[in-house]
Amino acid sequence: MKIILNIAWRNIWRNKLRSLVVIISIVLGIWAGVFVSAFSFGLNDQRKDALLENQFSHIQIHNPNWKDQNEMAYTLESANKIIENLKGDPRVRATAPRIIANGMCASAHYSGGVQIYGVEPEAESEITGLSSKVDSGQYFSAEGRNPILIGAALAEKLEVKPGSKVVLSFSNADNDIISASFKVRGLYSEVSSTIEKIKVYVRASDLQTLLGEGAESYHEVAALLYAEENSDSLRKELAAKYPTDLVESWKELAPELAYSDSIMSQMLYIIIGIIMLALSFGIINTMLMAVLERRKEIGVLMSVGMSKGRIFMMIIIETFYLGLLGGPLGLLLGYWSVEQGAKNGLSLEVFSDGLASFGIGTIIYPNLPNSFYFGTVAIVLIMTLFASIYPARHALKLNPVETIRTI
Amino acid sequence: MAIIETKNLHRHYQDGDSIIHAVDGVDLSIQEGEFTAIIGPSGSGKTTLLNLIGGLDTPTQGEVIVDQKAIHDLSDNKLIEFRLRHIGFVFQAYNLIPVLTAQENVEFIMLLQGQSAQERKQRAQELLKAVGLSQQAHKRPSELSGGQQQRVAVARALASKPSFVLADEPTANLDSQSTKDLLDIMHQLNQDEGVTFLFSTHDQRVIDRAQRLIYVEDGKIKTDTQK
Repeated sequence: MKIILNIAWRNIWRNKLRSLVVIISIVLGIWAGVFVSAFSFGLNDQRKDALLENQFSHIQIHNPNWKDQNEMAYTLESANKIIENLKGDPRVRATAPRIIANGMCASAHYSGGVQIYGVEPEAESEITGLSSKVDSGQYFSAEGRNPILIGAALAEKLEVKPGSKVVLSFSNADNDIISASFKVRGLYSEVSSTIEKIKVYVRASDLQTLLGEGAESYHEVAALLYAEENSDSLRKELAAKYPTDLVESWKELAPELAYSDSIMSQMLYIIIGIIMLALSFGIINTMLMAVLERRKEIGVLMSVGMSKGRIFMMIIIETFYLGLLGGPLGLLLGYWSVEQGAKNGLSLEVFSDGLASFGIGTIIYPNLPNSFYFGTVAIVLIMTLFASIYPARHALKLNPVETIRTI
Repeated sequence: MAIIETKNLHRHYQDGDSIIHAVDGVDLSIQEGEFTAIIGPSGSGKTTLLNLIGGLDTPTQGEVIVDQKAIHDLSDNKLIEFRLRHIGFVFQAYNLIPVLTAQENVEFIMLLQGQSAQERKQRAQELLKAVGLSQQAHKRPSELSGGQQQRVAVARALASKPSFVLADEPTANLDSQSTKDLLDIMHQLNQDEGVTFLFSTHDQRVIDRAQRLIYVEDGKIKTDTQK
């Protein structure tokens, strides 16, 4: 066996250029595969994080009826108790209650449907960073009557700016229509322009007063966790604690996010698989050339008594050497560039508009789970084995008498 | 005792519509310790006969018996194993393994036979000494002259302690000095160690040294003379 390893090793260096070309193509193929994967993972993770931090949080609690019918009456029974509880939990980074009404927002120029979020200014700012999203004007303060924050995109349609007045109309629990005038306190911008057009924020106390609800009246409690992995366990605990409320994790709130998370790795394995499949044909071609070029030599080996099994092994090992030289180098190069990218980020300024409507910032930080490197190694090994079989079988079909005669 | 025996040996090839009788009913017996040359013009069937005896080719009809064993109907893998244990080969174009040194080339056969490292090394050195190449043991074939390569090939052929050595035109690519050296070595191995040699050749220098001459033409033995 040792001699076969030895001969195979020396054989691949007989045509240095050819072997190097194959090795380099394996390196580049794997590097590209790893990098594209890391980029996609990064993109997906950032989209997920952005949506969780800006919109969904990790856990939301509602009245079970709220989910089907967003009616005013379906408030949480003991929102403040839940908030107290969540604040004491070491896993929870921030928590906030919201009262939500669907209605119309109108200016002199335009009116459109909106979701009116009555929020606790401080808590909301902690959980979604709302205060930092205000570009022009100011965030809520204790002073002022009926302040409102609207999205920059909506402001453009309404043709309003900070200081302007808008009228909100919505119905209360008794289905009476209530209209009130609000003063634009600031304009916020979101990475997603869809959200900008739909959500407006007012103070919870203002909305509760207008609706004639008590100060404890909320439709939603959201919690942002330090670690996403805890979402499921905390969701279960809360569901047991508050059996009359509906406790959902982000996976239920945004199933498409959870889905894209789970198909991402499968999709990327397929991409790597396709790259390796293409590469393996390059390897087959090279090894076939190597075998055909050495027909005579292989014939001699058979003549002097080298068994077919050993010849088969020799060609397989030669092929594996190419894969084993190229594979790790490609992985290292991939790992290195992913690390570099993760450190500095990749700027996609050029595509910022498209990315914004997708809910992602313009700097992408590639990121690849370690398991993926192992998966890639497995694919490389399998494909190399696949690529080695045909040339090795071809070598076995050679006939010693015919090959020795060819010069 | 006959080491090689062929009985009514035929090898036919299809060439378009016609059938070529490369070997056409050869009965032959080679005894242990012989130094025999098969001679004849090009296309007479010398090499085909040698290939059949060496188990590299399968007869259309007839029997080949080597060391009392019929080899003409062995499977490919059995034949490879048989060649490894019983037959040493020397080829016209030397055909050493280019990536191995002279000594590794000689050891290679013993390695396939499963001999220990110590045994291999010792025998390879002895054989290289016998063919006068002790100094070149660690050179690769590309660093050796044609004559030297062919002497390594002889050492390799003997490494497995075969029953006999088949040499297909071993001197065809050599100059006269190398031919003389090679023949001296083979002759000496034949005399001192009793190694049986069977050549095909049309080199007069080889014919002059052979003890038995088998003249083949059109696939048939025309004359068989003992000197």
